[in-house]
Amino acid sequence: MEVLATLTVLFLLYSLYLLYKSYILKRSTNCYLVDYVCFKPSSDREITTRKCGEIMERNKTLGLAEYKFLLKVLVGSGIGERTYGPRNIIEGREESPTLDDAIQEMDEFLDVTVHDLFVKTNISPSDVDVLVVNISTFCPAPSLASRIVHRYNMRKDVKTYNLSSMGCSATLVAIDVVQNIFKSGKKTIAVVVTSESISPNWYSGNDRSMMLGNCLFRCGGSVMLLTNDPAMRSQSKMRLKCLVRTHIGANDDAFNSAVQKEDDMGRVGVHLSKSLPKSAVHAFSQNLKRLMPKVLPYREMALLVYRIVKQKVVQRNTKLNTLVAQIDFKSGVDHFCLHTGGTAVIDAVGRALRLSEYDVEPARMTLHRWGNTSASSIWYVLGYMEAKKRLKRNDRVLMISFGSGFKCNSCLWEVCRDLGDGDVWEDCIKDYPPQILVNP
Amino acid sequence: MANEPSPQFLSSVRLKYVKLGYQYLVNHIMTLLLIPVIIAISVELARVGPDEILSLVRFLYDLDLIYTMSTVFLVIIAGTVYFMSRPRPVYLVDYACFRPPPNFRVPFSTFLEHARLVPQFDERTVRFQVRILERSGLGEETCLPPANHYIPPTCSMEAARGEAELVIFSAIDELLNKTGMRPKNIDILIVNCSLFSPTPSLSAMVVNKYKLRSNIMSFNLSGMGCSAGLISIDLARDLLQAHGNSNALVLSTEIITPNYYLGKERAMLLPNCLFRMGAAAVLLSNCHRQKNRAKYRLTHVVRTHKGADDAAYKCVFQEQDSEGITGINLSKDLMAIAGDALKSNITTMGPLVLPASEQLLFLFSLIARKVFKAEWKPYIPDFRMAFEHFCIHAGGRAVIDELQKNLQLSDRHVEASRMALHRFGNTSSSSLWYELNYIEAKGRMRKGDRVWMIGFGSGFKCNSAVWKCLKTVQTPVEGPWSTCIHRYPVDVPAMVKVL
Repeated sequence: MEVLATLTVLFLLYSLYLLYKSYILKRSTNCYLVDYVCFKPSSDREITTRKCGEIMERNKTLGLAEYKFLLKVLVGSGIGERTYGPRNIIEGREESPTLDDAIQEMDEFLDVTVHDLFVKTNISPSDVDVLVVNISTFCPAPSLASRIVHRYNMRKDVKTYNLSSMGCSATLVAIDVVQNIFKSGKKTIAVVVTSESISPNWYSGNDRSMMLGNCLFRCGGSVMLLTNDPAMRSQSKMRLKCLVRTHIGANDDAFNSAVQKEDDMGRVGVHLSKSLPKSAVHAFSQNLKRLMPKVLPYREMALLVYRIVKQKVVQRNTKLNTLVAQIDFKSGVDHFCLHTGGTAVIDAVGRALRLSEYDVEPARMTLHRWGNTSASSIWYVLGYMEAKKRLKRNDRVLMISFGSGFKCNSCLWEVCRDLGDGDVWEDCIKDYPPQILVNP
Repeated sequence: MANEPSPQFLSSVRLKYVKLGYQYLVNHIMTLLLIPVIIAISVELARVGPDEILSLVRFLYDLDLIYTMSTVFLVIIAGTVYFMSRPRPVYLVDYACFRPPPNFRVPFSTFLEHARLVPQFDERTVRFQVRILERSGLGEETCLPPANHYIPPTCSMEAARGEAELVIFSAIDELLNKTGMRPKNIDILIVNCSLFSPTPSLSAMVVNKYKLRSNIMSFNLSGMGCSAGLISIDLARDLLQAHGNSNALVLSTEIITPNYYLGKERAMLLPNCLFRMGAAAVLLSNCHRQKNRAKYRLTHVVRTHKGADDAAYKCVFQEQDSEGITGINLSKDLMAIAGDALKSNITTMGPLVLPASEQLLFLFSLIARKVFKAEWKPYIPDFRMAFEHFCIHAGGRAVIDELQKNLQLSDRHVEASRMALHRFGNTSSSSLWYELNYIEAKGRMRKGDRVWMIGFGSGFKCNSAVWKCLKTVQTPVEGPWSTCIHRYPVDVPAMVKVL
């Protein structure tokens, strides 16, 4: 009988041990953002509106009409006087970019930001388990991920992923990769690098639909450190609550809304079609449909269901657009990081979500100070909020971005502690918001 | 007298049997130890009469029912939780390779003629390229995309997109046909193509063509070299662990059109001679339903990145030559670096796949050399004990030779790699799938066989994956080898005279 008793006790202990292990595993599936660093290029790379005009004048294929059109776009874009461009364009070599130019642009970004991230978080490069790099329009061999591994002497079992050409929403795709790897429960440290390469992608022709990229895109980038280790929770800034990705590439118009191709003269540029706004709206609404149940509190959802039922059953009206417009997103979200694709984009999203000027201010100011830095723009917006000391513990931050293909990705973060690190906004946050945004 | 075997032969045979006996003993040690325990228990049970057993049962009843039930429930719950938290199996349902049409063939004579007519190449350059081709191990049926058949090659973005659409859609169409999978049921899409990444990405192109769902998880990997196929498989595995009941479509390809080097730098001309058209589409799943239809199960993926080492990082490097023309520079110590990367990979892979006997031998040899400073050669574990088939990236004849030497493989083991190189050339990340198809087409794939896929890539990376075959593959096999398998294997001479 003692044997039986011992066996039972052993079984019990083993079961308890298994349950404890599963609990630990479940606890380690959270995705924590430990810290992030945005890139501030050196001041000799600043471009004013006047300088932009000069650069565009250099394009001999442009006629007066095109030049006027570009100036109009530039002035009405909401972009300020202190955005940054790549060296080769500033130095006048935009028509013949070399591979070295592109690599130098990336090196300037990587050498500073990745180093700063390791210093800020007190993590050594050899602790990194996963490295995800997304730099959309430039992918040399060996990949930029390998370049970082080489530069920082990372371990030989580091998992690298180099995502490419996924557009301005690619940073959330990279976070998606990382959060899926975290779900295995094994303690992992991941670094995500996001940027855009401007040097090799200057369009030197005169097709209007391809020239907008030249005016709006600026240099910038950001690096993030994420982990699923619960022990690092106390030093983390935010925790990922949900991530929703929508891809409407199945729709031909949406797919063809932003296409990189050759114009009639054989010059490569990104053609933006007229159906771009419509595709963006379509993708955004699809994304919201899936995002709403995850973001809105139960009360708001119940109210929405009640209204839908009332409208469909009582009033026999099947138009749901007005109902969606009545949803108060601010009940579920405190701060909004909108992709700074342009003033039109920010306005449209702000209207759709019924946001006030206070809510869209970070996005507008980021567009003014940094221009459209493509995928990394939402991190600059987050930086603004942090510098303005808006982020308090338990606040929820929603990030929305759009990308070619056509994609709309969004994610919701929960702030872990009161944040106040100014990072790249330190030197100019006092000047924001400025009295006038209109370009003289 | 003539029939008496020589003493050397006898001793080697004896040694072989000793080795076999040792391996059997070590690999089945647990079973061998368990046998006396089972005998002891059964003897004990036989002694104990049936009434003792009955009294045991009655004792259990006497205990408070609550306690017994709660213990039993706890054990059941713990068992369920344990089983549910185990990693989900990843099945390879099927795969399909792009079959290049015969009119894209580039026999040696065509290659020579075109090279001579391209204005950017001078006589020295042409002769160098042909010399490489003669010793490359490629055959006369490898294919280049249409743009490269023009004189000079037209490397426009439109032509590159055309090639991408041709190879990718053909491979996916064939795969969907074979598996009967509906595009709407694909949950994960991963596309990897190293040297061509247009906006919108190739993954978006696939989503558009096949009208995939809007909540698809799509990823486009680029710039990761010839080992990117296994990196995509690794990513698919991670995603399938996080999401149950999902199907993943992995597409590996390399688009040749935009990467034809039109300069004079020798080290950069090598890719012109070796890289050819190819693509492979693979369907992975963790659905229980697919288990019966699946061909393989993924058991291990090991990735090694030697980027921290300078020489390894610079070994395959895209750069611009003195005239500003972009090309890929392959360094002279590529072989040595590949061997080194492979050794690193094996160190991690070995303990996962080698049987206990080999691991112990390796351990003893290591201890003897390090602790007792014995002058023995390092013991190379016999990987033929762990795998039945080997798929080595068909990077070039030299790569395959080097790996054959390092792993002490026979010609039969590397036959698939050599023949794939001969028939299709270096198709980069998809070459491993052409080789797997060769093994199947030859009727060598049996249930329970283990396959080791090894890929190398710029960076320098060495990635390997291990698959276990779930059902014997019946010939004839539909695939890129169906029209020519009867002609293989061929003897590939060290040099084919062209000039």
